[in-house]
Amino acid sequence: MAVVLFGLTLLLFVLLKTMPGDPARIMAGLGATPESIEVLRHRLGLYDPLYVQYWRLISGLVNGQLQAMTYHKPVWTVIVERLPATVELGVAAVILALFVSIPAGLLSAIYRNSPLLMGISIPVFWFALMLMLVFGVILHILPVSGRGATLFGWSFLTVDGLRHLIIPSVALSSVLMALNARLTRASMLEVMRQEYINTARAKGLRERVVLIKHAFRNALPPVVTNIGLQVGTIFAGAVLTETTTAWPGIGRLIYDSILRRDQSVVFGLALFMGACYMISYLIVDLLYAYIDPRITYD
Amino acid sequence: MISNKKNAFLRDYLLSLLLPGLGHIVRGWWRKGLLFWLFLAAMCGTLYLAVLRGRLAWLAGPSEYWFSTTMLFLFFAILWLWAFFDLRRSIRASDEKSFVQGYWQIVSRRFSKDPKGLVGLGIIAIVCYVAIFAPFFAHGNALKMDLVNFLAPPSAQHPLGLDNFGRDVLDRIIFGSRVALGIGGVATLLNMLFGGFLGLIGGYFRGVPDAVIMRILEIVNSIPFLVLVLLIVSLWGAGITTLIVVLGIFGLGPARIIRSEVLSVREEDYILAARAVGAPTLRIILRHVLPNAIASLLVVTTMTIGVNIIVVAGLSFLGFGVRPPIPSWGAMLQQAQEFMRSAWWMAVYPGLCIIITVFGFNILGDSLRDVLDPRLK
Repeated sequence: MAVVLFGLTLLLFVLLKTMPGDPARIMAGLGATPESIEVLRHRLGLYDPLYVQYWRLISGLVNGQLQAMTYHKPVWTVIVERLPATVELGVAAVILALFVSIPAGLLSAIYRNSPLLMGISIPVFWFALMLMLVFGVILHILPVSGRGATLFGWSFLTVDGLRHLIIPSVALSSVLMALNARLTRASMLEVMRQEYINTARAKGLRERVVLIKHAFRNALPPVVTNIGLQVGTIFAGAVLTETTTAWPGIGRLIYDSILRRDQSVVFGLALFMGACYMISYLIVDLLYAYIDPRITYD
Repeated sequence: MISNKKNAFLRDYLLSLLLPGLGHIVRGWWRKGLLFWLFLAAMCGTLYLAVLRGRLAWLAGPSEYWFSTTMLFLFFAILWLWAFFDLRRSIRASDEKSFVQGYWQIVSRRFSKDPKGLVGLGIIAIVCYVAIFAPFFAHGNALKMDLVNFLAPPSAQHPLGLDNFGRDVLDRIIFGSRVALGIGGVATLLNMLFGGFLGLIGGYFRGVPDAVIMRILEIVNSIPFLVLVLLIVSLWGAGITTLIVVLGIFGLGPARIIRSEVLSVREEDYILAARAVGAPTLRIILRHVLPNAIASLLVVTTMTIGVNIIVVAGLSFLGFGVRPPIPSWGAMLQQAQEFMRSAWWMAVYPGLCIIITVFGFNILGDSLRDVLDPRLK
């Protein structure tokens, strides 16, 4: 994991160094004289060797001193300010997705049909647009964009904030719903082939008991743990959803930072997303061993 | 007796050359014959549209007329030849009474009985057809503005309405299919070449190369694909070429699947046998490993095209993909967002097109996975 994280920082660093445009000029703002830009360039260390710049970037991220170029705050402060919005969006989407996708996958496994492919074909941003159109513009029952009132930085604690949360989280959950429903279906079909299902049926149990107590219970763990592997999907969906619905989370932040060419925020945020992905991967691996005693890690 | 039979052959061949599908119908193969007639009718309709709009041209006009015109006549030629050779093959097959079937014969028969796959193939065929003959189907040229009637709602003249510059939404959708399929297709080709190469090397040689390749895959996979592509495209400048190259190089999803497929194929006995008789490595890879991994390659290719179309639409929606004057479904949705309160038709139809197209690829891939797997009899 450490190797991958190191590789990720290298990849990002190389990418950012190929970025056209001068960070000093962006930082200095519009009315800057060439002299002040030159001074800023020296102060930012843009003339240092690359490995020095790389080291400064990494150590700055680790000790939290790295400044965002366009926000005049440390990068971590900017990210942490925006994080709750994405966390609640993601969590709401995952919960919603599970509530819909598990029954859907279950039914589709039992009745052997698969209209579920439609779900993964719907672009998140278009679904968000449609929700905004129907519930915001035509029916006027939900706010179209923004985050609404917040309490302690969380918007699901207020009624207004909760109303704002509905459209983005439903839109984001559409991808997860389809993915998880297909997963539930596959897992369920796999379990139904096992011999203990035959045994249960042979014992004369009712079909419903076989399905719920024997099949479903064993089909569920892989589905739930797999949510950990969908962190990347959630982040990618968050970028699109947050941009569409003006939800001020980290997805919107990375989009804005890319537009403003704010290298330090982009670097920090991309690294943050990568780290989140890797950590959740690790957790899922450990969870597997915990759930299934047959798996051991040496 | 024999001469009679031969004459009957000749008559059917001649009928087939006269009108594709006629030979099949005379022989009693109704479904195939009617299918050929359907193709023929569709192409005649396209020809009619082209003549009606005066766009059937090789030398005059923009290059897209030239391309579509060539393709139309090429399609006619292909249809005639296809009907003829298909009839000949069918007649010979029915004559031989041979019951031995190859893998691809089994696959094609199972595929023709799978409604999922047929629906997917039908959708893709229609979208490709529209993309190839876009200038014949469109009223205008997707760029023509009508600054008096901008944002006009759907009407008989403009079935899907006009956008904020007074451009016909239907025309833009028709031309947008070219962008979607073109970028999606070429990027997927690159994905399969590049990712396939990595997967093949990693899966076949294992050891150090495999470890290195897997680490690279993990690094690239750890950032969400959309964010990575967004970042790179924003650095290198948006544009169709950049988009194709970036998607093609960094879309390493297929590599992992191909690697696992190769890992299982290389353990088979026939690989061992090939190695035992001293076949060189390159020959083993090209002649023994690849053909046996082709099933999963096909499935991955189909699915990847769908993914790429969605990613391109997402990037264009964010303003980093295809640049606005060029009609693309994603960019159309970006514009639609601003005018959502006044012009819903700008937002609804391009999205529906993305869904239908991607759905076609996904459902075809799903069906291919079932059909190509010899274990599922």
